[in-house]
Amino acid sequence: MNFSLTVLIWIVVYPIIAFSIGVLLGGYGRKFTARVQRRIGPPWIQPFFDVVKLMSKSTNISHGYMHDAAMMMLIGGTVMTLYFVPVPGFAYFSQFGDFLVIAYLILVPSLGMALGVGETANPNGSIGISRALQMMVGYEMPFVLTFIGMAMLNGTTSMYELILRQQAGGIATWGIVTNPLLGIAALISLQGMMNEKPFEVIVAPHEIATGPMTEMGGKYLGMMFIQHLIAIVVEMTIYINLFLGGARNWLELIVKLFAVWTLILSVHGVYGRFRTDDAIRFLWRVPLPLAAVGVFGIMLGIG
Amino acid sequence: MVTLYLLILPLAGLLLTTLVAIAGGAGGDGNGAGAPGAARALVLNKAVALLGFGAITALAILARGEIGAIVEGPVVLGFSLSFGLTPLSWYFVMMIAGLTFLTVVFSLASVRGGYPMYYGWLFAKTFGMFGVVMAGDLLSFFILWEVMSWATFFLMQQGTQEARRAAVGYLVYALVASMALFAGVFLLYRAAGSFAYADIAGAIAGFNIGMLLLAVALTIVPMLVEAATYPAHWWKPPSYAATETALTGYLSGISTRIGIYGMVLFIFVVFGLETIDRLWISTYLNLRVIIMVLAALTMVVPTFTALFQHDAKRLMTWHSIGQGGYMLVGIASGSVLGVAGGLFHVFTYLTYVALILFSIAAVESRTGTTNLNKLGGLIKKMPLSFLGLLFGIIGLAGIPPMNGFVSKWLIYRSLILGGHPFIALAAFTATVGTILSVYKLIHNIFLGQLPERYKDVREVGPVMQIPIVILMITVFATGAFPGLVLPWVARIQESLGLTPIAWSLTGVAPEMGQLNMAVISAVFTGTFLLGWLIYAIGGKRKHVGQYDNYAAGHFLDASVPYNYNYEFYSGIEHIFGRLYERPPIKRAEAGLVELLKRAGDFTRRIYTGHLNTYLAYTVVAVLLTIVILKGGL
Repeated sequence: MNFSLTVLIWIVVYPIIAFSIGVLLGGYGRKFTARVQRRIGPPWIQPFFDVVKLMSKSTNISHGYMHDAAMMMLIGGTVMTLYFVPVPGFAYFSQFGDFLVIAYLILVPSLGMALGVGETANPNGSIGISRALQMMVGYEMPFVLTFIGMAMLNGTTSMYELILRQQAGGIATWGIVTNPLLGIAALISLQGMMNEKPFEVIVAPHEIATGPMTEMGGKYLGMMFIQHLIAIVVEMTIYINLFLGGARNWLELIVKLFAVWTLILSVHGVYGRFRTDDAIRFLWRVPLPLAAVGVFGIMLGIG
Repeated sequence: MVTLYLLILPLAGLLLTTLVAIAGGAGGDGNGAGAPGAARALVLNKAVALLGFGAITALAILARGEIGAIVEGPVVLGFSLSFGLTPLSWYFVMMIAGLTFLTVVFSLASVRGGYPMYYGWLFAKTFGMFGVVMAGDLLSFFILWEVMSWATFFLMQQGTQEARRAAVGYLVYALVASMALFAGVFLLYRAAGSFAYADIAGAIAGFNIGMLLLAVALTIVPMLVEAATYPAHWWKPPSYAATETALTGYLSGISTRIGIYGMVLFIFVVFGLETIDRLWISTYLNLRVIIMVLAALTMVVPTFTALFQHDAKRLMTWHSIGQGGYMLVGIASGSVLGVAGGLFHVFTYLTYVALILFSIAAVESRTGTTNLNKLGGLIKKMPLSFLGLLFGIIGLAGIPPMNGFVSKWLIYRSLILGGHPFIALAAFTATVGTILSVYKLIHNIFLGQLPERYKDVREVGPVMQIPIVILMITVFATGAFPGLVLPWVARIQESLGLTPIAWSLTGVAPEMGQLNMAVISAVFTGTFLLGWLIYAIGGKRKHVGQYDNYAAGHFLDASVPYNYNYEFYSGIEHIFGRLYERPPIKRAEAGLVELLKRAGDFTRRIYTGHLNTYLAYTVVAVLLTIVILKGGL
């Protein structure tokens, strides 16, 4: 795929599309959780109103240049990951970076946030970051192992090729069908990666005053909201590309996004919060062995 | 001819600096402290070192034209020593020369101890390392290996009192390794009748499995010890952490990596992959797999040990061990991408570890400490050192767009596609562990609340800034354009008889996988600008001080400790705490020490201190000699 006007248009439009889908998913999430908890919940478009309100605040407190730059790194890193994840009609960047690149690009926003929150010099924020990084040890191990399994099975580390192979034979060649153990392990890790209950230890408002967000206000908080909305699209799209056969068109992608999101929300809505070390232990005791068994199966040629 | 000067010049430098130090010491107390003669001598030595290493670096670049030529050295024991450059040794010569030069420049300003022989030992160390990587036969390799080990021992002592004690610990490991290497070298000599690499490779073909195993064990194990591979890594943390901070970077960056050079030499040149692969128990368990498993342990265990450290230098020393695992795993895999990744990782690691430790040294020179529980909030006082450390840790953590990502990408891909999923998992896990500990490093030094005692700290001067800036540029430039170094890696692979990696200026060629670092860097910049655009849409910001902070209604000032740095990762420390307190390897080592002590105690009883006992020994010895010589009574 060569550079063309279409690619340029996609580069401009894609972040906006992702943000819009993120707003819908975010609004749906709040509504869904509210209904589970017998509340009415805010309107579907509420995340958009939140962002507009926060971005137009006149008081924006900053603790220094790293704090400012961190916000740019946060949005920049997320949008960059978005570009490298192939979606229907736009897989231009996947020829420049495979899944290994995506797996590390997805860390850039976390790193940016960590540096910025560090400069705000609030212990609540630092504890939040400490927890976020520890959780990463928890979910990254099973998630990466599931990917290693898929890559070994298909003989490629390119996400684009993985999608093509899964689409070759309909549902029967989807990752979740050919390797259910890996698919389930990755789904549990995804819950941790998306920081939803029972793994929601980072924000934990009752314990550490919303952690990383403690010192964030005005447009700083607004940009964190924007990042979060795009990030949920990115993270679930990665899962869909790995295990649910990607998508042939946008309608299919959106349907799959809402399906996975509903699954995650239904766990989120009814669970409490793990303690950090228990969350890590759970991720090492349940999804990690599942993925390991799956990979053993692939090594022995069963998968 | 240039090749010869590469060996002569460091020797001449050693001689000159020693003479100057002795002349200076004659007028002072020999410690260099307070004596005007010693102070003058130190200034002179600094000039000698700067000029000398400048010339050595220039020669190293010139030496590229002489690759393949062999220079005969002095005759030892009837064998003529020979030295020469191969693509592999030139790669190492360049790294040694470059890093030593930067270390010397940085040390001019950062080293305050007034060690009279600081630069002298650097010359000695350079001589030893050049000799090892340029050795044309095993005898030269062994002799220079010894020189290098002793130079390391003396160099390490430039630091606190602790450094002198810890250096002895290193020496014990180094001597044991040397003895094994000595036995290995002469075993191979006995078989081949020559020390030349090519003759030995030919003779090994006729070895039976037992002999081969012995030869491999006696030569490869010393290399693993030098490379601080698990479980022979315990000499490293105490000795490297106690030495002068600039030297910690230098030693981690290149000194331990000579072990990696030795691994490549023995696996690919002396033995050859096919011979090594004769040592197998089953398809899943051969020698290379064992080395890879050791390498995986080397990646994971030290990296997670680093999380527990409270001292910046000690934390980095543990990473220095851990990153060696990546190089080893890549080289032992023997695949195109793996060997390329392993060799490239030696370079990338060198650049960012030196950057990280120079930044730490800059902080130490201003605050007098590297204790992570006492620092904090220095970002506003020392912005350049912060940026240096930031570039360095992004490289160390292997996050794009820095160069550390490229070498790790090559290794991950080779492991995944080579059918080693669990070793690949270990590599990923170690990377995540690295991210944790480097964030702790940068957070506890530069972020969080600034302690009141550091409110007047200033940025370091230009002499320390220059090496930091040079390394920052290198880390970024070779990250965006790995093709600046990869062609040489390909040439090394070719000279070792392996398939060379297909490279492009911006990454790897399409048939090797999808990686284009220039595009990644460009997208990084572009999306960062998008972030800036959104930031600019929002209202005007207002910068506030560190005490203008949320504290649940309390009032903050300098008297309130409001920082989170002690036991930073309490959750993980809770999970692994017991293992860290009493590591199984440390227990085994303590047992060995106890055994040696008892043996020593027993031996000591021979020396009773009574003249008549010794007389009795002498009589017995004389009688025994007579018996042996006469062949019986």
